[in-house]
This record gives sequence, structure tokens and C-alpha cells, in this order.
Amino acid sequence: MADVATIKIIVDGQEIAVPGEYTLLQACEAAGAQIPRFCYHERLSVAGNCRMCLVEVKGAPKAVASCSQQVKDQRPGPNGEPAEVITNSEKVKASRKGVMEFLLINHPLDCPICDQGGECDLQDQSLVYGGEHSRFGEGKRAVEVKYMGPLIKTAMTRCIQCTRCVRFATEVAGVPELGAIGRGEDMEITTYLEAALTSELSGNVVDLCPVGALTSRPYAFNARPWELKKTESIDVMDALGSNIRVDARGTEVLRVEPRVNDDVNEEWLSDKGRHACDGLRRQRLDKPYLRKNGKLEAITWPEALAVFADKLRGDPSKIGLITGDLNDAESQKAAFDLCEVLKIENRDCRQDGAAISTDAGRAGYLFNSTISGIEMADALLIIGSNPRLEAPVLNARIRKSYLAGALKSIALVGESADLTYPYEYLGEQTKILEELSKGKTDFFKKFAEAKYPMIIVGMGALIGDVGSKILKLIGEIGLRAKIVRDDWNGWNILHSAASRVAGLDIGLIPTKNGLNTKQMLAPEALDVLILLGADEIAAPSTAFKIYIGSHGDRGAHDADLILPSPAYTEKNGIYVNLEGRVQYAYAAVEAKGEAKEEWAIFRAVSQELGKPLPYDNLQELREKLKADSPSFAATAGEIAPSAALDLRHIGETGAAVNATIGGVIIDYYLTNPIARASETMAKCSASRLGVVPENMAAE
Amino acid sequence: MRDLVEQFGPLWGSVLGIAQILGFAILLLLTLAFILLFDRKVWAAVMMRKGPNVVGPFGLFQSFADFLKFVFKEIVIPAAANKTVFVIAPILTLVLAFITWAVVPLAPGWVISDMNVGILYLLAISSLGVYGIIMGGWASNSKYPFLGALRSAAQMVSYEVSIGFVIVTVLLLVGSLNLTQIVNHQSAGLWDWHGFSFIGALLHGGSPIKIAMAFVTGIIMFMMMWIFFISALAETNRPPFDLPEAESELVAGYQVEYSATLYLLFMVGEYLNIVLMCAMISILFLGGWNLPWGEVTNPYIGFLVLYTKIWFVFFLFAMVKAFVPRYRYDQLMRIGWKVFLPTTLVAVAVVGANVTFFGG
Amino acid sequence: MSLKQALKGATLFDFMGAFVLGMKVYFRRKPTVNYPFEKGPLSPRFRGEHALRRYPNGEERCIACKLCEAICPAQAITIEAEPRDDGSRRTTRYDIDMTKCIYCGLCQEACPVDAIVEGPNFEYATETREELFYDKEHLLSNGDRWEREIAKNLELDGKYR
Repeated sequence: MADVATIKIIVDGQEIAVPGEYTLLQACEAAGAQIPRFCYHERLSVAGNCRMCLVEVKGAPKAVASCSQQVKDQRPGPNGEPAEVITNSEKVKASRKGVMEFLLINHPLDCPICDQGGECDLQDQSLVYGGEHSRFGEGKRAVEVKYMGPLIKTAMTRCIQCTRCVRFATEVAGVPELGAIGRGEDMEITTYLEAALTSELSGNVVDLCPVGALTSRPYAFNARPWELKKTESIDVMDALGSNIRVDARGTEVLRVEPRVNDDVNEEWLSDKGRHACDGLRRQRLDKPYLRKNGKLEAITWPEALAVFADKLRGDPSKIGLITGDLNDAESQKAAFDLCEVLKIENRDCRQDGAAISTDAGRAGYLFNSTISGIEMADALLIIGSNPRLEAPVLNARIRKSYLAGALKSIALVGESADLTYPYEYLGEQTKILEELSKGKTDFFKKFAEAKYPMIIVGMGALIGDVGSKILKLIGEIGLRAKIVRDDWNGWNILHSAASRVAGLDIGLIPTKNGLNTKQMLAPEALDVLILLGADEIAAPSTAFKIYIGSHGDRGAHDADLILPSPAYTEKNGIYVNLEGRVQYAYAAVEAKGEAKEEWAIFRAVSQELGKPLPYDNLQELREKLKADSPSFAATAGEIAPSAALDLRHIGETGAAVNATIGGVIIDYYLTNPIARASETMAKCSASRLGVVPENMAAE
Repeated sequence: MRDLVEQFGPLWGSVLGIAQILGFAILLLLTLAFILLFDRKVWAAVMMRKGPNVVGPFGLFQSFADFLKFVFKEIVIPAAANKTVFVIAPILTLVLAFITWAVVPLAPGWVISDMNVGILYLLAISSLGVYGIIMGGWASNSKYPFLGALRSAAQMVSYEVSIGFVIVTVLLLVGSLNLTQIVNHQSAGLWDWHGFSFIGALLHGGSPIKIAMAFVTGIIMFMMMWIFFISALAETNRPPFDLPEAESELVAGYQVEYSATLYLLFMVGEYLNIVLMCAMISILFLGGWNLPWGEVTNPYIGFLVLYTKIWFVFFLFAMVKAFVPRYRYDQLMRIGWKVFLPTTLVAVAVVGANVTFFGG
Repeated sequence: MSLKQALKGATLFDFMGAFVLGMKVYFRRKPTVNYPFEKGPLSPRFRGEHALRRYPNGEERCIACKLCEAICPAQAITIEAEPRDDGSRRTTRYDIDMTKCIYCGLCQEACPVDAIVEGPNFEYATETREELFYDKEHLLSNGDRWEREIAKNLELDGKYR
């Protein structure tokens, strides 16, 4: 914006200079004036249909909608003085009052039964601009309830036709399934054939809706905003680390809302991150359990810790540790430290077996371009990933960049899918990667010529047996296209697990002699296997399995000893997102039952073994974490700079491979234990498969 | 009793004697039941209320209902209490309250024990009354009861002194410790009652100086009557001197931990003492069973007269409770030691001088 | 202490005056109401025991808007809500802790549908504390029992609201 000429404008007698393409509304905001609005939204296109943002422009005969006129289009005064905008005159107030009266004509007076009550834009603004009584004696309009899927509850009578939801679906989510039919009073917002929105971002239309027309269905009638305790936290459903606010009442998490963070998730949140929270109430592990004669029986913590310690006294080469996808950095650090103390070399934070390593330094496994950097990129090669499912909000960034015209060429290697933007499909065989690395194909020419080329490597390319060799091939493509420069790093790994980057930062990977996940899971390989929230694996029946986690999912089902721990909303924790951004989450509610924090469990068992870990509280643990892995010392929300990346060290050389690059996510809504415990996610999954539960449509 | 044994032989004499005592006790308890109700009714009337009026006609059986309630409630003894002393204390209070009545004559010849040192006996027994309260307060092992008991002890000791001196003035006039003789000394009529003898002083005649002295003595005796009345209020922990159980300060004083029957015993003992004080005022100052216009020899009429007088004095007790607010503790002590004690001392001296030099 | 004061004290002057006054009052007519047999009149605004009302067709009025819960200064009201089977907004839990309640009447002021009201009943003493933790069922049955009186009171007071 620095190269844009600024234009002077007078707002309420105060002269300011703003860029010419600012709308009047933005200029007024810049001058500190508050402009009411319904249809205008910073991240959506301008519609100009609610008329609430009327301001008076000197010289204009009528009040103008400030959201739809740009500063540069304003006519200067007769002597060339800047245009003058008045936002607080009686005329403006009267105009807005008139608009409000019209809006309220057809808006029902059902605030007491509306879930938006207490956080409703219309309610708030009618306090200022509403009349004291209605002059409307005729019958009000009534609109039928529309079915929009298991996440969105509709009451279209309340709709004020701001079309924010339509614009969101079309522009951000990239699923043009919402639209308006009819005109004037008969205008109705509906989905095509009243089907569920096929977007992973559909929950955001609820936030966007300024009235109670679209509300959250799982949260329907549950609580009022003033009852909720709001806690800032970090989403763990994908590796993006979306900033969230956990709204809880008493001991229950009732909903999850996004927080604004322009570097990460703007103000969007994926449906899984938003609605899997009801999984926090089901299938919870609340007591330690021990398998006796093939049956799990509840035991006390001292007993459980004694059994745990006993199992750790064996041969360390026969003990292994696998960590899952949802852990915070602290629990992984404590697990790592325990391994160090006990000389356990079999440990792995990559339960999917992905061939990422720390060999090429930290930059080798990060999303180096950063998420906001996507808006700068002009060519993108996606390999083995479906960002729409693996990180929906990140996919929205790609689409945003594409819509803005920055991102000119996109290509995909791997499973083809609808990514909401057009791309060149190159196939799913590794052969194409070899060709690319040799500089063949038309796409490579475009890619090499691009100013800011970007490669996104997904887990789909890396989880196979030859993952590291594929990685090497991709590294060669990057080398040839010169994606790593001093001012630009186009090497991006798109992780699918929230805990992965922290795990790699800590060093939770097998030592030279240690076994990795795949080897650990081989029959007879181990006597004791510790699963720290690892559920996506098939543990061998021969090992004694100790599961530490929050949900009774696959891992707990197979386990011989279960140690309950809090879920992500129930503990203070550090999460590192795929960019390497260190973010802090805070406990919103109490842990369920007797659950103990993971690091405390490891600390307790190390005490039992007579080799106590050197910290007694979370603060000391964090001190040690920062001392051992400097990247954690970054300020909250910042990315610690990492050493320069040399792509020659990426991956592992070997014979030419011939493999197919597949996808990772089979069912977006059921990727982790919390989501699998969630009723809402189950409904979403069923809905995506075409099953519409009977009681959904009725209202 | 000895008369009965002499008259009817050892067996029947004893039986009759015990029956006499039992009848007397029942009469006392019945009186008490209605006195309690009367107390509440008077209090209510001054407050423009009706008072208890549901149990029986005009609420006459209220006290019996209360009695049943107290008896059927659970006796709670605090865990930290000294159980023996805790139980003995109210029993002691009740027994002491009962046995004082042994020397009180109700009518000519109607007395359990017409002993010559009746007054002395009364003083002795009523001095013991403080023990029940002290024991109860101490045995409760609780702070409020203990404070209440301490207050009570100090208060009762203080006012016993002035009560003693007041009685001494009467003794000086009568020249006997026998209660029957004290009554008989006032047999002539209202003007000779100790409380109103200043009228008699003017009627009896004699030398002017003798008349003057007798008149002064009469006035002093009138004052003594009121001092006795007020001291009796304090002695029996009646309002406005109910500081040992001041509910705004000590919850219920020494009775806090008491419940059910044990509490009932305390209460009965207290009210027996109150009625005793009413009887004492009637006997010492208001001519006992004598009518205002002359002597009564018929015991039945005599009993009725005394009984009426007791009720009248109790009515005054009840009225005082209704219209006088509670005194502060320092005020109570001030009145006892700095007003009543010197006044009664002077009174004893003056009356003594009158009796010595002018023959009463 | 002045002589006058001393004389006043010695002659019990004030007490005599009090006695005379006491005797004057003694025989006045007693305003006592013989409570369980006769009762004083109640204002239509009397705020007694709570009740949840129903519509004449038997449908409960409460729509779980939670305004009463929000306004309750004693935080005596607890509400939990869920969509009912027919999709309407209803409470699954409506508890009033009558031991917390201060009978200020703000809940009935806040109620947009006249569902929660403080009825004319004040005789609901219980033997145990637990019985004073009213749940939705109890409140609704209160409403059914007192509906006639409540409706009449609301009508009488309506014109002043």
C-alpha cells in the first residue's frame, strides 16, 4: 500500500490522509468514527445493500452508503479543498433510523428464543437507531426454514438479506451453493436444492450472519453469550494452529469460535475445529485402567504409576514411545526427557510414518513461506496433499491469493480433488516428479520463471515406504526451480498433525539405533509400547501397551494400561503450528475425572523409578523446553528464525522409485479421537456421504 | 408434719404429710402454668396483640401444650459438655426453687414447716440458687453460657445484699424471723401493712416526735417495698434485668445449650422463684392473707386473699417486662451497689433507731 | 445528676408514666389477625412462591430465553436448554434455589412471556432444606395449582405496568 498515493479527506471536521481506494467507511474508521453496518465485511466483497452505513457527504444531495464509495471518487470542494464527510449529523441519524425501521419491519420480535440474542448486530444497533415503537401494522413476512446441513440452523424469517453468507460461500469457501432467490420482499437466501453446504468452512457463515438467521445447530439453545467463560486457545484439529476462543460454562465446553489473527487464520475456522468440541464430552477417560484377565478394570493412580514404572524397568531397547497428533509441546518434552533418562531410543512423533526428518535443519520441515506468504506467491506446486481437507483455512488463503490474481499457476501431483480453485493436474505417479526434477513439462517452465514459486508437500507424498526418496525428488525440483533464495523460501511442508512440528523441534525421533514407528509396530519388536495420544496406529498384540490420552478411542481400546490425561481445552500448553509459530493455549475448563496432565504423569513415573525429571511445575518445564530447543523461546505468536535451508540435504538418495502418491485424509470429519467422539462430526460425515437424518429437516 | 404425726400416728401422719407436700407442689405447678400464660397475655396486651389464644379457650392450655412439647423433644447434650454437671444443674435449680416454699405460709395455719427462722431459711436457700446457673453455664463448655452464668452470678450476689437489708428492716419492725408472725404483725388493716405503715403512723397517735419518727419509718418502708420489688426483678433475672440471658448479646445466656426437659426444669425453677418473690412481697409488705380492712382468720379466705395479692404483684412484674427496656450491665451494677445498698443501709439504721428509741 | 433527675429516679416518675400508658393500651382493640383461620388481604403485586405458567392449551410458556437467570441478583435461577423434539426452544432444567431467592420479583419483570411469576402463595414451609430447591416440575405444578389467582393478579395489575 506504500506505493499508493494518499488522498486527503475531512471526516467530521478532522482532516486525514488515506489511500485512494479506501472506501468512505474505511476512511471514517481510520478517522475514529464508528459506522454501523450489516452487509459490509472487511474480508468480503462490497455489496452495499443494507444501507445502514449511510453518511452525509458535503455536496451530495442524499446520504450515501459509505461502504460502496471510494475516497478517490469523491468530488473535491469548489476551491479544491478535500471532500467532507459527516457521520454524526441529525440527517445521518435520521437516515439510519429510517433504514433501521425498514429492516425491522420484517424482522420478527423473537429475540428471547433467538440464539443470536446478546451478540446480535441488529439488537445492538437498534438500541442506538431503533424507534421506540413500531408503526407497522400489516402482517410480517414469514419465510420457511431452510436445511443447510448439520452445522447450520436456519430461521430465515430473521434474515435481513445482507448476503454476507452468500458472498462468503462464493468467495472464501469457494462453494457457490448459497444464493438468493426472489426479489424485494420475497427475496430468500437458500442453498441449492436445500442441500448441506459442501464446505469445510461452513461454520463461518454463522459468525458472519449479523442476525439470528443462521445459527449454530449443535449449539442451538444451549447457552447465552453472557453465561460463557471465554478462554483463548489454539485449535489442534489441524496443523494450522488456528487461534480460537473456547466458550465454556461450568465444566463443559459449549462452543469454539475463531479469534482474529491475520497471520494464521484471519477470522475463519474450519468446521472440525469449531464443532468437534462436543467430542470433549463423550468417550472420556476419567480414571486409570489396567487390563486384568483380558478386561479393563479401574485402578487408582498410585497403582497405575507403580505398574507403569514396573514396565519401564525392563530392557530399554524393548521399550518404545509413539506420540499422537494432538499433544502440546510440554507433554512431548516430558516424554522425550523420560526417554533420555531411561535411554529409550525407540521414540517417534510421526505416528503416520511420514518421512520428515530434522536432517536438513528446522527449515526442512516447516511451512517456510508462511501462511500469509501465500498471498505473495505466484506459482504453486502441491504434491501429495489436499489442502482443502488437511488445512481448510490455509486452502482459503490459496483461493484468496488466486482470486486476487497473485497466484497465476497452480499444479497438483497426487490425488485429484476439488480444491475450490482451478489447477493443472499432473498425475499421481512419481514419474512426473522425476520429469519435473529434470526440468521437463510445461508447468515447470512457468514454475521456474515465477518470481515467488512455492512447493507444498503434503503427508500423502511422504507416508509411503519410499517417502524419503520422494522427498529427495521434490527437493531436486525445488533446487532446479530455485525456490529457496535469500528473500524467499518456497519450501513448504503441510503437516496434518498439530503436535508434529513441536515434536520435531524437541527431537522426538528415533536415534541412529532406535526404531521408528513402522519398526516399532512390527510384531515382537517391543515388550512395552507407550502411546502418548497415538490412536491412528495398529499396535502389535505382543507388546504391553500403555496409553496416555483423553479419549477412549482405538489406542485406549487396545491398551493394557490407560492413564487419563486432559484434552486440549483443559490444560495450559504450547503448540507450534506448521510455520513454526509458537502459540500458547490456556485451560478453559477443568480436566475430567482424575485425569492428570501428561507431563505430570511422566514426572511422577520418573520419581517412581528414582530418576526424577528436573522440573516440578509447568513453568520449570517450559524453562527447560526453551533452554533445550531455542525455537520455543520465540515470543508468543511469532516464528523463531531458523537456519538457512539447503535443499540438497532433504530426503534420502536411492534407486529410482516408481510409486503412486495418494491422499492422507479419508474422512475429513473423523481424523482424530476428539472428532470421532463428536456426535456433530458423525452427523457431518453422514451428511457428506449423502445421508440426511430425518429429524434434521423438520423444524 | 410433726403435728400430723402426733395427730394421726407415724404411718398415716407421714402419708398425709407427703400428700400435703404433693398437693402443695401441684398447686404451685398449676399456678405456674397459668402465671406463664398470664405473663405472655399481659405482654401481648401492652403490645396490642392477643397473645396465645389457640390452645384451649382463650389459650388457657397453652402452657400444657408447651410442657408436652418440651417433654417430647430430644435432649441434646453437647459433646464437650461435662455431662453430670450439665444434667444436675437444672435439677438443682428446680429443687432449690421448690424447697424454699416449705416455710411460706399460704393462710393462717397453712404452712408445711412453720419454723422460727423462716426468713433465714429463705435467705439461705435462695443464695444457693445461683449455683444451678453457674453449674449450667460452666458445664455447657461454651462461651455464651459461660458469660451468661458469670453475669448471672454477679447480678444475683449484688442484689441479694440489698434484699437482705430490706428484709432486715422488716425483721426489726416485727421482731421475729417467723413468716406467720410477720403476717400477723400486719393484721390490723392496710394502714398497718409494712408497705403502707406511714398511714398507720398518723392514726396510732402518741407524742409528736413519735408520730414523726413512725411516719418517717413508714415512708422508708414504702421505699423498701419498691426496692425489694426492683431487687426481686434483678434477683430472678426478669426484665429489665435479664442480662444473663440477653438474647441480643448472649443468645440465651446460660441456657444456650439446654433443650427439651432440661430447659424446662430451668424455666420452671426460674418462674417458681418469681412467684416466690411475689409471695414474699405480699407477705412482707402487703399484709399477707389479711384484708385491707382487717384480720382474716378463716384459712380458706386467707388463702384466696394471699393468692390474689400474689397475682397482683406478678401483674406488676409482667407490666414491667412489657414497658421497661433492658438495662446495660454497668447500669445494673450501679443501681445495685451505689443506690440500693447505701439506701437500704441508711434505712436499716433509721428503722433500727426508731425501734430502739421509740419502740417501733 | 441534678436534684430533679434524682427525684424523678427516686419516685419512679418515668415508670409510672410508662405504666399508665401501658394500661391505656392494655384495653384497646387488638388488631391481631387470627392467622391460620383468617388472613389479611394480599396485593396483586404480592411476591410469593414462584411458579411457571402454561398457556391455556397446556403448553409451557417458558422459552428458555434465560433473561430471568441473567437478571437474578441472588443467582438463584439455573437454566439449561435444548431444542425439544419438535424443534422448539425449551428448558431441560429450570431450578430455583428458594433459599437463595430474595423475592425481588426481577425475574417476573424480565420474563417476556409471563412464564415465571411470583404467585400469591407464601405458605410453603418445608421440613428439609432440600425441598426448597425447586425444579422445573415443581414450578410447573405450582403454576397449575395457582393459575387462577396468578392470572387474576396479572389482570388486576396489568393496567399499572
